[in-house]
Amino acid sequence: MEDFLITTAKVLFIFGLNMGVFAPLLTWVERKQSALMQDRIGANRADILGFSMIGLFHPIADAIKMLAKEDFIPEGANKIMHTLSPIICVVPALLTFAVIPFGGEYVIGGKHIKLVIADLDVGLIFIFAISSLATYGTVIAGWSSNNNWSLLGSLRASAQMISYEVAMGFTLVGVFMVYGSLQLTQIGAAQESFFRWGIFLQPLGFFMFLACAIAENKRAPFDVAEGESEIIAGYFLEYSGLKFGMFYMAEFLEIVTISAMVTTLFFGAWHIPFISSALILSMLSFLNETLANIILMLIHISVFWVKVIFFIWFQMTIRWTLPRFRYDQIMKLGWKILLPLSLANILVTGIVILILQ
Amino acid sequence: MIVNRNITMTWWERIYLPEIFRGISVTSNHFFRNLIGFIPALLNKDKKRKIFTLYYPDEKVEFPPAYRGRPVLVVDENGTERCVACGLCEIVCPAKCIEIQPDETELEKERYPKSFSINMARCIFCGFCEEVCPKEAIVMSDECEIADLDRNKMFYKKDQLLISKNKLQKRLNYIKEIYGKWNY
Ligand code: SF4
Ligand code: SF4
Repeated sequence: MEDFLITTAKVLFIFGLNMGVFAPLLTWVERKQSALMQDRIGANRADILGFSMIGLFHPIADAIKMLAKEDFIPEGANKIMHTLSPIICVVPALLTFAVIPFGGEYVIGGKHIKLVIADLDVGLIFIFAISSLATYGTVIAGWSSNNNWSLLGSLRASAQMISYEVAMGFTLVGVFMVYGSLQLTQIGAAQESFFRWGIFLQPLGFFMFLACAIAENKRAPFDVAEGESEIIAGYFLEYSGLKFGMFYMAEFLEIVTISAMVTTLFFGAWHIPFISSALILSMLSFLNETLANIILMLIHISVFWVKVIFFIWFQMTIRWTLPRFRYDQIMKLGWKILLPLSLANILVTGIVILILQ
Repeated sequence: MIVNRNITMTWWERIYLPEIFRGISVTSNHFFRNLIGFIPALLNKDKKRKIFTLYYPDEKVEFPPAYRGRPVLVVDENGTERCVACGLCEIVCPAKCIEIQPDETELEKERYPKSFSINMARCIFCGFCEEVCPKEAIVMSDECEIADLDRNKMFYKKDQLLISKNKLQKRLNYIKEIYGKWNY
């Protein structure tokens, strides 16, 4: 019963944070950040009783607008698939969070609590398995819309996502070779000391993973699947109202997921550089064990989310800095550069591990 | 289609990653500068933001004197318009939108426009009327918000055109400078 309550609390925390804070707020962040980067002001018109709160009410206005819109299904579309595909897009983005740890292990009231919803020993493989499902969402969305632009978009999306999935898988092989585990909690725990962070052990892996992950998410510079200027909006062209919003939500949730994964795998998960958990606990030794552990837990959770927020910012910056690649360039980058480089990365990592043994 | 633009890139540029960071440093430089520039403007309404964009209907730009807004008639210190109804502007106007009815007056200038109207729906803001006027009586003001839904309201009568000299001093100085070599 107690386990059930704890797990429910964790699920509610992750779900609430993602759907309640990140998904709506990121639409605002994206507008505001792009505006500031381009010397503009950005969204600021939605106001309640004259208070515009630097545009923070825009997500609410958007939500109301989307709810009030007509739910349009084009003629000749496959109704079931058309309705299903936004859901297939959103669910994997949320589901990957089940295995991402947002804190370490704490002893609270004599109970060991791990801050991860499902501590699978094949966590990384689970993430790959689930995130590949998002491809089906986009493919089905394009196909079921009965629209040529959508079909083109979904074709592009599927080709791109499948090619980058290969490279993404190989970039992470280096990571679990170094840490000797597929379990994300163990990978996180192994990065206790600053110089054991993934970015130092797998610098090439980090850049390649980030590139692949952004390509997986179909955001600029890899947004040919949407390509507003070429194929209007690609696979979600024929969607309106809440279903359209769900595609956006999936995109934003995936940003959060990618940031969380980068943090866990390469940036020391919940650890603070040079300050180990033991040090914090010894500083809090005047408190009893449970209280000290709770404070440590809160510190670690906030450190983790600060890192995640930094990477969200970084991804937004990339999105508003780089122009879109041409389609052949994307394929070339995926198959001719990232794939051989990631294989070479595995080879070098293997040799180094062999020498060090 | 792949267009060969004959761009030769160095090896450093071709590996692309450093160039990405250069681009990101430029954009994030703007981001942080504007982010910090916002704070004094939020705390104090009079402070200027670093961003050029204005909250348009609430904030307005001050135009430079060279700006050509709607043409207006200058009113002198003695309270009458400077115009002597010579009709030069009426003739030079390429849009044929000025209509003047001259009349005699006891004042020193002897002639004055009994009615003076400009059809702002047709005016093209060329500034020829201002340039041709021998008395500097018609000048381009800095007013540009003249749009209306009703065509008849775009027909500006004399009383709508009169604007006192003090308000137009900047433009008057400016036109003296640029047209001076012909007129004076
Ligand atoms: S040119 Fe000048 S003085 Fe002559 S009618 Fe026009 S405004 Fe009056
Ligand atoms: S600005 Fe040009 S178009 Fe307008 S009234 Fe003067 S001469 Fe005519």
